[in-house]
Amino acid sequence: VPSFLKFLIRRLLFMVVTFLVVTALLYGLLMLAPVEARALLYVPQGARVITTKSIQNIIELHQLNDPYPLQYVRWLTNLFRGDWGWSPSLGEDVLQAMLRRTPVTAELTLYSILLFIPMGLVSGVLAGRRQGHRWDHGFRFAAFIATSIPPFILGLVLIALFYVGLRWFPVGRLSVAKKFVVDSITFQTFTGLITIDGVINRRLDVTLDALRHLVLPVFTLSLAHWATLGRVMRATVIEELGKEYIIAARARGIWANRILWRHALRNALPPALNSIALSAATLVTGVFVVEVIFTLPGVSQPLNTAIAYTPDISAAMGFAVFGIILVLLLMILLDVILAIVNPRIQEEVLT
Amino acid sequence: MSGLRSFMSSVQNLLALIFVGSIFVVAIAAPWIAPLHDPENPSSYKVVEGRLEVFPLEPKSEIPLGTVIYYRSSTGEMTLLHFDVFHSLIWGTRSVLRFGLITALSAAFIGVVVGALSGYLGGVVNTVIMRITDAFLAFPVISGVLLFRLIMDLTGLSLLDYETFNPIKIPETPFQSLVLRLGLDPVMITLILFSWMAYARMTNANVLALKHMDFTTAARSMGASNLYVIIRHMIPNAITQNIVLVARDIGGLVVLQAAFAFIGISGTVYSNAIPEWSRLLMLGRTWVIGQGGNPLIFWWTYIPVTLAFILFGVSWNMLGDGLNAVLNPRTRRKIMGMKY
Repeated sequence: VPSFLKFLIRRLLFMVVTFLVVTALLYGLLMLAPVEARALLYVPQGARVITTKSIQNIIELHQLNDPYPLQYVRWLTNLFRGDWGWSPSLGEDVLQAMLRRTPVTAELTLYSILLFIPMGLVSGVLAGRRQGHRWDHGFRFAAFIATSIPPFILGLVLIALFYVGLRWFPVGRLSVAKKFVVDSITFQTFTGLITIDGVINRRLDVTLDALRHLVLPVFTLSLAHWATLGRVMRATVIEELGKEYIIAARARGIWANRILWRHALRNALPPALNSIALSAATLVTGVFVVEVIFTLPGVSQPLNTAIAYTPDISAAMGFAVFGIILVLLLMILLDVILAIVNPRIQEEVLT
Repeated sequence: MSGLRSFMSSVQNLLALIFVGSIFVVAIAAPWIAPLHDPENPSSYKVVEGRLEVFPLEPKSEIPLGTVIYYRSSTGEMTLLHFDVFHSLIWGTRSVLRFGLITALSAAFIGVVVGALSGYLGGVVNTVIMRITDAFLAFPVISGVLLFRLIMDLTGLSLLDYETFNPIKIPETPFQSLVLRLGLDPVMITLILFSWMAYARMTNANVLALKHMDFTTAARSMGASNLYVIIRHMIPNAITQNIVLVARDIGGLVVLQAAFAFIGISGTVYSNAIPEWSRLLMLGRTWVIGQGGNPLIFWWTYIPVTLAFILFGVSWNMLGDGLNAVLNPRTRRKIMGMKY
């Protein structure tokens, strides 16, 4: 469909602009640091120790006393070339370190989205169907509790209950026995997502084990977002159901459930999905926090080592850029879903 | 007035008011609820002395919520201190409240000014400014907090030359010295920097809608200046939803700050900028899993703080919801019993 393609290109262009603005902001933040500190971003490959001399060398080599725009453009070019710098605390190239840990983060994010978006939509519609009904009160109470409990506290409690207490759901990514299977030669890596690779390799036990490790983090991450999405959905469904086309549809004798799930839901979707797109950055922050709490070896794993021992600017910058890319990818994904569900959006963007 | 009456008629709103009110009361009445140990040297931490216990002390009459253990290594050797949980909880209300109010109000101020100005100027300027606002939305706060923390840490003696084993001299930038001199919290600055967008978007949408209304045109035709129209007409008309958001943000931002402290990116447990509640949480988290995997053995080290955070978040959230029902013109009609 050409109009869909146009819409997509339009959105992608916007994302590129956003990326430029945000990275400019990021580098701008870094410019608040003294030049000797900024030099740490350009530590040469393989460097393990830092000396006064090497810092002076880096400043000269990368011309770190140049005006901000020049430096920013140079840094950005390096970024696109795949040179994200070298992290002394990780002892690894930053981009490599990030990419190696991406599947874990991707898995967590993906399953959370797959859980909370449908749940949020359905519970919002059910609650909004009859305002003040028992369902509605139940949902509002649950949503209230869900948004009130800070995710990191929820994570802590869940670990105490289900990991330490009941021993149902472990933390980490895989249990030791399954890690052996995954690391062996016979287990082939296709996507890096263990749950999917397990199915492809016909090792359902590995998939199940990985899923078991994902239960608590996914739940922790999804709960607050489910509640927020459900609330928006409830409000829009209530508003939508008061509109005249619904009355007209009822008058024509269309089944109430069909009106609800076909007509009202579709029209109520844009604000709901839009609210997720706007909070994509919050979602990504949540992903990182949850990873740390449940000791998932994802992208945020280097964080703590990066601040605890040596101040590692290249790791921090790499992490930030990675986070931004993740947010933008989420936004595009939601845009595409939205455009497929409600074609009217495409036209709105194009005009 | 009917707005006020409908606000008060709901049990939930009344509860919210009582909760938020009691937070303020506790903050103000801290010296009476938890008398200072040493009035010469006021501190929000009370050290329970004379004990060499390696486990947190159980609650009893003089320490209603027991103690939590703090290791101090400043003198070269580790000393073990017992902090009174109750004392820090009461005195910590002040800093948490201050943190929430300053952060949310500053974010709201920036957002309202940006949104209103940009909306008033309109045209290409508005498009550009709002695009930049949208771009800010794509920035994960956690990266900002991390980077800012690093920037602030990287001064003075934080780096060592591995050849001569002398500290590498890193001079402070004017910005850093400003932050240090004013005693600003890096986490607070970052949170302000990344939470004004919602206010800007909301105010902007409202201002764009108000711009062509009759009263604005009337004011302009009478020779009112741009600034006058913005301050006198646009902002007051666009402000109600911002109030709702401020109430919610006060709770939300405090909890977010606690999350960053908890995972250890906003500073170590020794850093001065960390509010008392967050520090209690950081000290308490090591005791969550007690002997034999029983999470309840040292419950007083983390459950009271956790509840305090939850209560704080809930109160402000409830207040926000209540205000929303009254101030939001869309839902107001329903509350006042009118049909549309």
